[in-house]
Amino acid sequence: MPAPTPCRCATPSPDQDQKENIFLPREANIIRVEKTTEMERILTLRLADGSQMKFEPGQILEVGLMGYGEIPIGLASSPTRTNTFDIVVRSVGRVSQAINTLGKGDTLLIRGPWGHGFPLENLRGHDLLIIAGGIGLCPTRSLIQYALDRRQEFKRFSLFYGARDPQQQLFTADLADWRKSKDVDYHETVDKSDPTWKGNVGVITTLFSKTKIDPGTRVVICGPPIMFKFVIREIDKLGIPHQNVFVDLERRMKCGVGKCGHCQMNDKYVCTDGPVFAFSEIERLEEAI
Amino acid sequence: MSSHFIKESDFAAFLAGLIKEKKVVGPVAKTSRQQEKFVFAQLERGEDLRLDYDVTILPPKKEFFPTQQDLVRFDGPRREGCVTPEEKVLFGVHFYDVKALDMTDLLFQERNDDRNYTARREAATVVISNIQKVSPRAFWSSIGAEIQPQGHDAWLSRIAGGYVLEPRTPKGAALLRFGKFATATPAQIAAARQANDAVAAQCPERLQGTSESNARKVRAAFGQEELWTKLAEDCFSCGSCNTVCPTCYCFDVQDWWNVDQKSGARTRYWDSCLTEDFAKISLGAGATENFRESRGERFRHRFMRKAAYLNEKLGGPACVGCGRCSAACTADIADPTAVINNIPEA
Ligand code: SF4
Ligand code: SF4
Ligand code: FES
Repeated sequence: MPAPTPCRCATPSPDQDQKENIFLPREANIIRVEKTTEMERILTLRLADGSQMKFEPGQILEVGLMGYGEIPIGLASSPTRTNTFDIVVRSVGRVSQAINTLGKGDTLLIRGPWGHGFPLENLRGHDLLIIAGGIGLCPTRSLIQYALDRRQEFKRFSLFYGARDPQQQLFTADLADWRKSKDVDYHETVDKSDPTWKGNVGVITTLFSKTKIDPGTRVVICGPPIMFKFVIREIDKLGIPHQNVFVDLERRMKCGVGKCGHCQMNDKYVCTDGPVFAFSEIERLEEAI
Repeated sequence: MSSHFIKESDFAAFLAGLIKEKKVVGPVAKTSRQQEKFVFAQLERGEDLRLDYDVTILPPKKEFFPTQQDLVRFDGPRREGCVTPEEKVLFGVHFYDVKALDMTDLLFQERNDDRNYTARREAATVVISNIQKVSPRAFWSSIGAEIQPQGHDAWLSRIAGGYVLEPRTPKGAALLRFGKFATATPAQIAAARQANDAVAAQCPERLQGTSESNARKVRAAFGQEELWTKLAEDCFSCGSCNTVCPTCYCFDVQDWWNVDQKSGARTRYWDSCLTEDFAKISLGAGATENFRESRGERFRHRFMRKAAYLNEKLGGPACVGCGRCSAACTADIADPTAVINNIPEA
């Protein structure tokens, strides 16, 4: 007699276990879709049961569809805004492509929020500098919105954003606002210009010369791995201690709950210990940056 | 709890009674390429139980963390979780495998309790049996020896003329009613202790140093790229060393559909950090990033996990010295004693 195949048996499980099943997703409805680049769409979601999603800026969701799978996505809006939340889905694989065929009114499945977001208690009361490269703008947007909504909690607020070329810029409506806003000292650049572009051209570190950053500033960095090294060099020139620098890391994630091992870097699980880490905590960890 | 003795001649009836009433999983023989190997399997008859096994091919973790396990099943828009605790008796586990279960128990439970594992684990009764035959690559007597096995309900020891059963929990004590047990005499208890102690000296391999000194030197060797490249030179990235390891618990999650194209499941499968794509992500437009690209980096990651990374959490190394990886590796490069003993002191 072969051993029964696991979990295809009829044994009913206690309700409690089902409720607490960390793999059972919740439904969220898509209430707005915006195509932001060739590859990316911004989805505004609301929990199907109408409840408010509780999360911190910088936390991660596992977003998916049954039969396709799940992908980790950083929340791209602030909990200070209504009872909806935004995510940006970049069509790079089977799951994201399937999600990007959905439209307004369709249902997505989410788990989370998971992980440690930006350390608000540590950022409050100080100058804040956010440095976002490429799709790194998505998770940091949750903090940008937060800082704008609770402007009085922070002192000077500067934001650097770098994109590969003008076509790759995300959240263009927001960018237009930030360019005009008095609440944020906003600077942007593109690596490669095109005829429409009137702004700064060059790598993101060129933006450091555009404004004054105080050594007491709290810094948040999110971008492609290659960007970190160069940005940290500038931070060091400014004399900002590494415990005041926070990085939002990306790794391969599967479970989101600190079990599957895929996101492990050195002895940390990015999904549960992170994705935001103090730079001082990880700079000596091999494999981290 | 007190100790109990059952005569050799009454043992078969005890097993038969147990099997009749409960699902019992224990070590049984399986001959492959004229070699006798052992596996944990459901017992249909007591005679199949081979308490004289040396080591099983796969560790008993598969009873709680199956090689493939549905997490969520779906049918159209309907979804249900698959937490399915099932009562069973895991009979005849060696103590080193229970130490490994203690680790997976903690790791699946901490932070976000994974009921897919823990509910199954709670529903099981685990009976240790003393090691009667030592496997050719074992080194359990010299690794984490300071840590005692916790997660068991009874401990069975073979002595002259029969077995001594020491229940550790009410679940373990509940087994007594299946057999003709008598209170064990002090001499029988001493013989049981002796049976367990004597075997420790027979481990063919030995890990030198202490848990702390090994953790220190393995960690300190992280930056020695050539060392790891050299150690992993013959690695096939097959992942067998992960698959057979009782303390490895990484998994992949995949969705699949039934032929009706309407229903299916989200299932987890054992995964191995030694395989090439384990830490690889796609960035779009064909670009990828692999956070542990070389064999050396992956090989090193395994040793960091076994000897250093988890020590604080677990109170010791995440290796119990079963020697399964040493035996499973075709290139014979996975043996923790060979690797760790040869890393110089920091
Ligand atoms: S079993 Fe041996 S060859 Fe296979 S991945 Fe492990 S170390 Fe490499
Ligand atoms: S690393 Fe090897 S010896 Fe250690 S527990 Fe795993 S399989 Fe056994
Ligand atoms: S994504 Fe599974 S452990 Fe982090």
